[in-house]
Amino acid sequence: MLLFPAALIGDTSLLSLGVLGLVAAFAAIDDVSVGQTWFGQPLVIALITGFFCGDPMTGLAIGLPLQLVLAGNLPVGQTFTGDSGVALTAAVAAACLSGRVFVPDLEQVGFADLGLLGWIILAGGLLSALGHPIIQAERKANGLLMLQGHKTLRDGSLVRMEAIHLRCLATTFGRGFVLVMLYLLLLMKLWLPAYVYLPGKIHQALGMLPLLLPGLGVGTMIDRYGLRKGWAWLLAGLLIMLALAALGV
Amino acid sequence: MSNGSTLPETDVPRLSRWLQWRIFVRSLALQGSWNGQRMQNLGLLVTFFPWLRRQHWDINRDRLFCRRYFEYFNTNPYLANLLIGGLIRLETEHAARGEDPTLMARRFRDSLCRAFASLGDQLFWLGLRPALTMALCLLGMYGLIKPIFLIVAVFAALQLFLRFWALGRSYELGLDIVDLINHPHWHRAISWTKRAAMVLTGAVAGRYLSSVGNWDFMAGKGLLWVGMALGIGLPLILRRRLPGEALLGLALGLALLLSFAI
Repeated sequence: MLLFPAALIGDTSLLSLGVLGLVAAFAAIDDVSVGQTWFGQPLVIALITGFFCGDPMTGLAIGLPLQLVLAGNLPVGQTFTGDSGVALTAAVAAACLSGRVFVPDLEQVGFADLGLLGWIILAGGLLSALGHPIIQAERKANGLLMLQGHKTLRDGSLVRMEAIHLRCLATTFGRGFVLVMLYLLLLMKLWLPAYVYLPGKIHQALGMLPLLLPGLGVGTMIDRYGLRKGWAWLLAGLLIMLALAALGV
Repeated sequence: MSNGSTLPETDVPRLSRWLQWRIFVRSLALQGSWNGQRMQNLGLLVTFFPWLRRQHWDINRDRLFCRRYFEYFNTNPYLANLLIGGLIRLETEHAARGEDPTLMARRFRDSLCRAFASLGDQLFWLGLRPALTMALCLLGMYGLIKPIFLIVAVFAALQLFLRFWALGRSYELGLDIVDLINHPHWHRAISWTKRAAMVLTGAVAGRYLSSVGNWDFMAGKGLLWVGMALGIGLPLILRRRLPGEALLGLALGLALLLSFAI
């Protein structure tokens, strides 16, 4: 399974793929299963992936707009949405491994490359959405495995309970590892090469995506807290930053 | 709260550091086998095993213990140890007296898990997490990578320490842990973290708006301002909490509209 994408991606070494697999597995497991340290958040995991690929700035350029637009997603029980950690690992790794370099300052990216940045960000979002039913399936499988624990209620075997719990954890870890390999293959062999075949207007629209996403993210957060309730605090933050910008900070 | 069922301090065996550590490590994976039917039940049960194994009970008592905690259980993972320590204390006391703790444990677990779930959701998911996310994004907008890692690392270390401490503290308090929930600090902390999140959201909006002014490379910049205003306004107009992935689809639709309008 692991050799398959490695061979197709070409000059990418098995070791670097292994490291990326571990990063994605960590993101998957941190997001909801173990610790919840928030290292698995989109921006942080994008930076970590960029760091391992030798270009944390590209991680920042891809992770920042997605973190803002995904800020309203909370990893709480049944409301858990998407699989952003694994998706971001794949998106940043695909950009770095294929030699694409981005910076978070969109002015410096230039409009020509903004389209490609938007294309990669779109891939990150779509892969996160694709991960959602996979996580739900995993949770259904957890439920089926959990029911096997009823045997322990009859025979008192604690080892069985521990084995079931470990199997669930291993499944989450394995999901992160395997999915990032498949996503990388998809992005590097299909998604990124397809960009040049898109019409100019689509390039232009994709170029606007990184510019519009922070606005939507901010709008979501304002909606979450309620504009009427929190306008004074929001305005305070807004004015401080505008004043700093006017001072050239 | 003083409860008649609590043994005098001197009669309760101490929770050794090693045992506390082993329970703590397992408690980190409380959600590892999360399922839609009974949520964190298996995670909770497995967390107790280091303590259970030390009791050297016969199979029948182990079986009954598992039955007690195999039921539905769901709480906030960051505050769960406040409950887990209390439950271990309750089990220890009942074991020392040779009583069946089933009814008391069920009542204690079910009432406190809801209370901690509610407090934890307000404090962590609606307060601290959005505040930290916005702080990280603000730093990211300035291209500052090291402080981002520093903030996340400090948060991770602090929450792990608090979870370890909470286990020991709740074991000490036993059923009196209930008093902790009534403390006004919780609600103060919730309201201040939410305010911090709002200020930081405003700051991110300010940084975003000031950077849009510099995007001279954009053709049809006026339309981009319209798009941006629509972007910020859409979640408020829709009045529906859409997942981020759906918002990305909305942004793409908006970008396509603008692109064909320019």
